[in-house]
Formats: sequence, structure tokens, C-alpha cells
Amino acid sequence: MSTHRIGDSPNRVGGVGRVTGSQQYAADIRLADVLEARLVTLDCARARIISIDTMAAELVPGVRLVMTAADLPQPVPRFGPQFADRPVIAVGETKYHGEPVAIVAADSKDAAEEAAGLVRVEYEELPAVFTLAAALDPAAPLVQDPALRRNDRLASTNVLREHPIGWGDVDAATADVVVENTYTFPMVTHFAIEPHTFMAAPDGDGIAVWSTIQHPNWLQKVIANILGLPLSKVRVLAPDPGGGFGGKQHAKLEPLVAFAALRAGRPVRLVLTLEQTFQAVRRASCEVRVRTGVNRDGGLVFEDIEADYLIGAYADIADRVVGKGSYPAAGPYNVPAVRIMARSVLSHTVPSTAFRGFGNPQVNWAVESNLDDAARAIGMDRLAIRLRNLARKGDAFIPFDTPADGDWEQTVRRAAELIGWDAPLPPGHGRGIAIGIKSGPTTGLSYSTVRLLGDGSVIVFAGTSDMGQGARTVFAQIAAQELGAPLDWVTVVMGDTAIVPYDQQTSASRSTVLMGNSVLQACRSIQAQLRAMAARLHGLDASQVSVDSGVVQLPGRELSVLEVLEPGLGPLGGELTGNGEVRKDAEPDHPLSGSAAFFEFNCTAVEAAVDEETGDIVIAKHVTVSDVGKALNPLQVAMQDEGAAIQGLGHTLMEQYVFDETGRIRNLGAIDYRIPTSMDLPLELRSAIVENEDGPGPYGSKGMSEGALLCVASAVGAAVRDATGVAIRDLPLTPERVWRALRDRPTP
Amino acid sequence: MSTRVEPIAIEMTVNGRLRALEVAPHHTLLDMLRDDLGLTGAKECCLVGECGACTVIVDGRTVDSCLVLAVEADGAAITTVEGLAADGVLSPLQQAFLDRGAVQCGFCIPGQLVAAQALLAGNPHPSVAEIQEGLAGNLCRCGCYGQITDAVLATAEADVR
Amino acid sequence: MHTFSYARPEALAEAEAILATHGPDARVLAGGTDLVIRLRDGTARPGIVVDIKRIPELRPSIREEAGVLVISAGTVMTDIAADERVRRWFPALAEGAAVVGSVQIRNRATLAGNVCNASPAADTAPALLVYGARVVAQGQGGTRRIPIDAFFVRSGVTTLARGELVTAIELRLPAGPMGAVHVRRTRRRGHDLASVTLCCGVDGSGVTRLAYGSVGPRPVLFVDESGVLADPAAPDEARAPIFERMFADASPSPRSLRASPEYRLAMLRVLGTRALRTAIERLALA
Repeated sequence: MSTHRIGDSPNRVGGVGRVTGSQQYAADIRLADVLEARLVTLDCARARIISIDTMAAELVPGVRLVMTAADLPQPVPRFGPQFADRPVIAVGETKYHGEPVAIVAADSKDAAEEAAGLVRVEYEELPAVFTLAAALDPAAPLVQDPALRRNDRLASTNVLREHPIGWGDVDAATADVVVENTYTFPMVTHFAIEPHTFMAAPDGDGIAVWSTIQHPNWLQKVIANILGLPLSKVRVLAPDPGGGFGGKQHAKLEPLVAFAALRAGRPVRLVLTLEQTFQAVRRASCEVRVRTGVNRDGGLVFEDIEADYLIGAYADIADRVVGKGSYPAAGPYNVPAVRIMARSVLSHTVPSTAFRGFGNPQVNWAVESNLDDAARAIGMDRLAIRLRNLARKGDAFIPFDTPADGDWEQTVRRAAELIGWDAPLPPGHGRGIAIGIKSGPTTGLSYSTVRLLGDGSVIVFAGTSDMGQGARTVFAQIAAQELGAPLDWVTVVMGDTAIVPYDQQTSASRSTVLMGNSVLQACRSIQAQLRAMAARLHGLDASQVSVDSGVVQLPGRELSVLEVLEPGLGPLGGELTGNGEVRKDAEPDHPLSGSAAFFEFNCTAVEAAVDEETGDIVIAKHVTVSDVGKALNPLQVAMQDEGAAIQGLGHTLMEQYVFDETGRIRNLGAIDYRIPTSMDLPLELRSAIVENEDGPGPYGSKGMSEGALLCVASAVGAAVRDATGVAIRDLPLTPERVWRALRDRPTP
Repeated sequence: MSTRVEPIAIEMTVNGRLRALEVAPHHTLLDMLRDDLGLTGAKECCLVGECGACTVIVDGRTVDSCLVLAVEADGAAITTVEGLAADGVLSPLQQAFLDRGAVQCGFCIPGQLVAAQALLAGNPHPSVAEIQEGLAGNLCRCGCYGQITDAVLATAEADVR
Repeated sequence: MHTFSYARPEALAEAEAILATHGPDARVLAGGTDLVIRLRDGTARPGIVVDIKRIPELRPSIREEAGVLVISAGTVMTDIAADERVRRWFPALAEGAAVVGSVQIRNRATLAGNVCNASPAADTAPALLVYGARVVAQGQGGTRRIPIDAFFVRSGVTTLARGELVTAIELRLPAGPMGAVHVRRTRRRGHDLASVTLCCGVDGSGVTRLAYGSVGPRPVLFVDESGVLADPAAPDEARAPIFERMFADASPSPRSLRASPEYRLAMLRVLGTRALRTAIERLALA
């Protein structure tokens, strides 16, 4: 029997399909009779649509459908996870470079492509705002129609919302030293290797929608709402996404494809190009002004933080990103006075959305870097200032939230030890250390069903999306552990709203904790049934029987699950079914509508050297340590943390959107938007974990996988500064930017 | 107005099996594998030869199949990820990818495996630097590069023993 | 991708005839690593694509003929980077070929294709200029041998005439010892287009040949016969004016996404200095 239980690292469940090529991603699914769709977009940031002539396109042989806003219900339905502001397709005006104005569906890709090129759009280019300065200019054109923002005092500005938060009295606080700086974080994109794919087909009196979506149940609600269908008539099929990172959380073009399929009466499939994914999802850029007050003894007195996030033309989930991401901006420190004002600023750019770290990396870059400035100003070691102020377990470091839920000092000290904080440095090298913290899920609802079949094998139904993080494996491990089945006798069914019970979403590193607990609960329910069954079979009281790790314990003897199950089910066979329901309700008075289920906590330390002639950064060593409570699958934990670290090196060193003077994206696609390759790694990358089994998840686990990305830039920037003496406050740290900073440094 | 061009008859061996079909001149090898032969292991992502998700082996050498016209492969022997496992048994490299945790979302993995297979065929005992250089044309956004390198090294070492 | 017809001539004369007939409506397909991208994005819209890989004379081959290394038009970067003779006699060309794209790209991309695209950023161009390569062009009018420096005009434009096809690149074997190196700047360490690509060669007679690309409409060659650059003992004051002249023709585009003109010009000097140092070291070992 397989011993692949909790704390082991069995091979990924679903891994064989991934190494043989048989795993079916959304774009690999072949439906008979499917129409291939192509989008029609305008090559400008913002335009008034005057007219759309589809006649030439419709004449292309094989074309079955050319659809514009005029072909949709009027007014054109709008949707969005926070505000119903995004139209199914552009209405009257395009508000970002790449917003579709028409969709073409044809028998073949060739015909669709040709026809898309023949749709004639007459339009007038309008001035676009695509920087914070331009969007905040009182004379700036308004991105959102004020009519969509009734009773909103900010409706006549491009500020969508303000998120003030704080405690103590910053204005009254006096500190020995105040350090003030402004930092910027670039606009970057998810660049999942799997481009977004959407497919829809009429399904009886309802509709089936396939999508690379992370939140199938959320999409189901969007589609049902827009089409006026009951949820039971909307089936969302969400094959495991080929990387999500937040970019596949919320509905994008599924409603459009759904309308196209219903209108065509046939399945319609739209596979985005990589370039189009750049025009579908991105991370908000950000400008952060930080004033840090510190006393000479190293004690933090106040943090005064203003963060403007440049979000896109439609809110998507971006405003939540701003509010939740900026919320723990002061860090995991006991700071007596904190004032944070974050603003989500609308612009004529691609709607920004969730992206691993959810708004935290932006403020972390600023506040952690400024903490280094504060340490330098008082002549204190940068590790020491962090340890001096770090919240200890139980400290209410954010007064109205979950107290510090880990022994964080252990994590920080481990990172310092692994980087050799006090060891002599080679000439030209520098070190940096930074801490990242992120508030976990604030609400949640995860149902699951577990079926223990007559032969002892198990099916788990869980609505999480396994986009690489390994949820499928972890749920299988939990079921195997609790019900005594070999791991390869456990099947985990996900991603089909017609079969799998409701899950709120796959985000915020929640699934191991929330869905994991739900699966555990379902298994425990089956264990209770087994106890009753064993008691009945052996003439005992259920209280005399216990079930643990797949073993049924009777007074004086042990039985396997199957030894109870088979006689218990009897000659007709059958199965035992357990349900799980884990709920974290909203707290109406809480600033985030809910306290953190847990905090993700990471400490990253870096040793780097800089080629002063070229500005090249060489990362000699990168250490990332996370407090995960308990690693249910240590290999997967390491993969997540190291992968997050590498992803973080992207926005740290090379990634950014580049715009032309009119707001068009100049570097669409893989040639001029660079992400790290296998040759761009630190010379040494090391991950480590702290396990105190003090998390709210199964077996003491906490959520993880975003933590190791949060403070990568801060640690690298600090190491570069340590190596060169120059503080750079804008990302990415491209060779050219570093070269300029070194060139311009004041001569001592 | 576009011209209608006659399809061209081609023949090739794909994963050891002779295939004869007709292709349009402007369709790529990737189009042909995925759409005509239903071999969806090779993935479509960047379509400019940068990401390597569509990597296949043509006559012993890796190519980005998005940059090869299907007609160019006339007469060639092609290996895709579907051809790596023999009779349902994973190749040592495939097994090592699973054992070493080289697979997260998996979308880039067919390309990585095919590239690594060809790398080892040409250089049975590569150094870490040679593996990193040899696989630099295969992007992994999950960031499994370290584990992928481990898997290739482990396969090479196992081969020595 | 738009439609086009496809020709796969099996004889050189046949290819020449097709090219002569169709003129600019025909595009030659060698490795396709550039052309297929352009066919897909619509920046190339030929009516006919002429695949030259089945022409016997153009099949991949690197051969030595009467003191000349002949690299056939079908020879790909992988083979050039790995070829013992190229590495011995023209190591900077091997280095340049070895950094073109990824393995997958180098397995398809040909040297002749790289030359015919005339990209200012072509990583093989500086070495070809330093080594004084000749482009062998054949058309219905006969065969021409064009010095590489006279071949490049600007991005995408060469002195190749209508109906002419590049059949090979020729490199005269060096008469004496030479030290040479190829260096470049990119935005990341993994494969990338260069923001500066540069080759420097120093020979035993004290002549320095330095060529650079990606800083203007075409790659540029500069020859210093004064011996100053090649002299490791020469003072910086003596070198500086030569460097200034050497890089005077650099005119990087302000529109480039890869780096600003200012950075490119600065890196040209850094890379030039470094490459010169390495070339002199290599000459000493030669």
C-alpha cells in the first residue's frame, strides 16, 4: 500500500497526463461542429466607434457569424466582480488598447481570420489617459461614465475609490528621524504559458461554457445573470488551467463567446493569442510615497503611506486588489501610528486584475525599501531593525485584525542564517533582506463531497482549480490519509459546475486551508459512518470505535477500512458519502469585510553583485523562507516558493509594459516583453520553510504560494544598494536603469 | 482578396507512424499536429519562437513547430511529446520530471520534455549550465527551472549507472 | 496567416527562374525563423514562398576549398557554432552563431538567412565583417561574390539583385594568427535580441578590425591599421580618439524598445574596450 500521506511528497496527481501530453487543457478540447472565433480590435488606446461595416466579412465563405454590440440585448449587459461596469463588448467607445469591437466566428480559423480583417470600423481616436499623472489631472477625460457611478462623490474624477486605513495618530507622532521617498512599480502581465481560452455551446435549454477560469462557480453566476438563465442551466467546465497566477480568476470574454454560441446555434471557440492576453490581464502599476518615522533605538514610530494604483478602464477585481493589497502595507511590525491612503485610479489601459501577491508587492517594494533607508539613517543593521519591530505571535500588529499567527522571528532568523547575514562579503557584493506579509482570505465558502466506494477507493469532488499549485494532489493526500486508501485509488474531480459542489473561488492561497478543511470534514463524516458501521457489525457502541489514518480501532483489535466497509455495506454494495462545508462569513464592520484567515509570511534574503560598467545585476544567492504551518507536500511547497521567487525576479529585473505617446502598448508579445528564462536564475536559489503546525488548515497548515513573491524586489533592490551605495526606487532594475543610477550617483 | 491555394500532399513519420495528409501551404507544423492529427501535446502560446511550448523534434533536432510550415516537414521524421513514452511506460526523463517536481501547471512541459530529450541525445552528460542554456528556449512561468534541471541531471546520471 | 503558394525547387536554375519571374512577390524560405513570423504578422505578404532547402547545392555543408571555408546557404547556426573549422579559424563567428535565439531557433536559422534579412542586430554580422566574408550570389546572370560590407544596405535591404539567390558565405582562411571575440548586450541572460552586438579581431600585423551592430540602420565595420589599438601598452590617450572615430557611425534608434541611444552608445564603448582586451589576449594565445 502506498504510504503517500500527509507530509510526504508523492508525485503530482494528474502528473502523468502532463508529461505524456494527454492532459486536456481548454484549447485541446475538440468539439464537433465548433466555430473558430477571432476578435476585431482597434490599434489605438481609446476611440469613439462611428460605424462598423460587417458586410465584407460576412461574405467570406465559411463565416457563420459577425457580431457587434448592436447584435446584443440593449442596453448591452455589463458585468464585473466588484462593479457591473464591463460591457460584453465595446459599446460606443473603446477604452483600452485591444478592447474588442466585434467577434467573427467561422468554420475554420483561416476564414475567421480573413473575415476579422475585413470588418471595417470607422472610428475617431480620442485622447487617452494611461499614466497616473494624466489620469489624476483635473482636466483629464473621465474613463468611466459618471452615470454608471450614481451617488459616488468621486464620480467626476478618475479615482474609483479611496481606501484609507490606519491607527494611532501619525500627525501627533514625533520621531527622531523621518525618511520620506517615492517608489514606483511597473505595469506587468501574467504571461501564463497557456493563453486564455473560451468556448461555449448551446446545451439543451441552457448553455455550456468552457474556460481557463480559476473561479468556475463565479463564472456560472455571471453567465446565468447575463443570459437570464437559472444556475442549473449554465454548466461551466473548467479544465485545469495552464497557469493562472490570478489572471484567470474572473470572467473576461466568456459572456461574449456565450452570446456568439447562442446566436450561431453552434459551439464557438476563442483562443487568445499571447498578445491578446497582454490586452486582457495585467498587474496594476503603482506609485507609493512613504514617510517612515523611527527613533534612534530602532523603534518604528509611524508609517505614513500613500499608494496610487493605476488600474484599467474597467474595475474587474482591481479595486479589491488596491484595498486588500495596501492594507498590510506597514508590514508585520508593531507600529504605533499608521496612516495608509490607497487609491484605485482608472485609466485607458487594460483592466488590471488579481496577480499573485494581490497588490502587496507594490507597497512592499516601497515600505520595505524605506525601512532600509530608516535603518541607514540611524546607523542600525537592516536585519536588526526588522527584528526590533517584528510582531511576536499574538501581537495585534494590525489592531482590528487577526493577531500575528506565527513565530515570525524564526522565519526571519532562518533566512538571515541561510544567506549568512553576518559573514564577510566578496568585494563588490551586497546583501539585502526583506519581509513580505499578505492577508489571507477574508471570506470563503467551500463545499466538497467525498465518496468512499465499495472497494475502498475514493472520489473527491472539490471545486478548486488546480492551475499548477497542486490542490488536486493535496486533496488526494488528505483523503488517502483519512480513509486509508492508496493515493492512486483516489480520484479528484474538479472544474465542472454540473457535478462538483460550489466553491467560492481559487485565490488568496486559500484552497489548502478552506477546501482542504472541507475535504477533511467530508472524510471525517465518512469516518463517523464507519464507526457506526463497525459498532453495528461488532455489537459495540460507536463511542468504543475510532478511525484514524485509515485504521478502524475496536477495543483490542484493529480493522482496515475495507474490513468494515464491505460487510457493512452488505451484498448490494454501495458507498459512503460525506460532505464538507467550510464557511468564513463576512464581518460587516471590518475594513476588508473580514479578518485574515491566516497571514502569508515570507522572508527573502539576497546576495548580489553589479557590473558597474553595464549595470548588470548578478544574483549570487537568493534565499526564500516561508512560514507554512505544515507542509502537506514538501516538494510542492518548495516548487511554489521557488517558482514565486523566480516570478518575482521578473518584475524586479526586466518586466514592464511600454507605451507609445498615445497609449498603445508597444511590447505586446514575447519578443519585447521579457520574462525570466532558465538562464536568468540566481546562481543559487534556496527555499526553506518553518513548520510549527500553527495554521488553521488541515494538520496545522497555512496557505502559501504567494508569500515568496511579495518581497523579492525589496530584497534585490536592497542588495544592489548594499553593493553599489545607490538606492534605486523604480522597477524594474534593468541594466540600463542601474547603469544610469550608478552614473548619476554623487561622487563622494 | 486572398487567393485560394491548393492543398499540398505530404508524407511524414510522426512518432514512428507514417502519416499522409494534405496541408495548406500557410499552415504550420504546429497547426497540422494539433488540428489535422489531433496531437495536442505541442502547445500554442507565443507563435514567434520565443516560448518553446510547441517544441517538437524534426529529424533529430528540436524546432519551434510554430515557425515551421507543415509542407517543410514533408518526408521528415517527427517526434512529439506523445511519442516519448513507449508502450505506455514513461521514459526515464518523463519519470524524472514527475519525481523531481518539475511539473506545476504542465502547459510548458511537453516542450520542455522534448527539448530535454534532444539535449540528452546530443549531450548525454550535460552540466547545469549546458542544461540551462539548452532549455533557455522553453519558458516556464511557474518557475520550475531548478526542478527541470534536476530532472535532466538525474536522468543523465541514471544513464551512467 | 494569409495564403500563398509554395514552391520547392529541386534545382538552382529552377529557383532562380521562379525568383526572376515573381520578383518582390516571392520570398525565399530557408530556416523560416524570421519569415514565418512575418508571414503571420502580415509584414510580409508574398504571393509565393520559395523553399530552397531541397536544392542540392544549398544543402547544409561547411567545406574547405582552396583556402576558403564555404558555408552553404542551407547551413544552420547550430552546425556553424559546432563546426571544428569554424571554431578554429573563425571563433567569433561560432560565438555569434551560438547566441542567435534558442537551440530551437539555431536548429532552423541559417547563416545565409541571417545575412539576407540584413537585420542591424544580426549577431553573425559583426564577425562576418571582421573576417571579411563574401556573399556568393547566383542569378540567371551568373555568380557574384559580394564583400559582406558591400552587401548590407539597411534593415531588410541588401545589394542582392532581383532573381539572385545567396548560395553560400565564403570566408578566406586567415593568413596569420588572429585573436577575435564576439560580445553583446541583451535585456536578460536568456536568448534575446541584442541591444549592442560587436566583434573585435586583432591580427599579428597589428591591424584591428571591429564591427558592431544594433546601433544604426546596418552593421558597421571599422579597421584600425595604426597598430595603436592592438598594442596592449598603448596609452588610453592614444586609443581614445580612435575609439571616437570607430563609433562615429553609430546612430541608435530612439524608437527601439531594447535600450536608449545613450545606453547603447555607452555600451558600445564598454563592449568595444572589453572585446579589444579579449581579442589581444586571444591573439597572444594563438
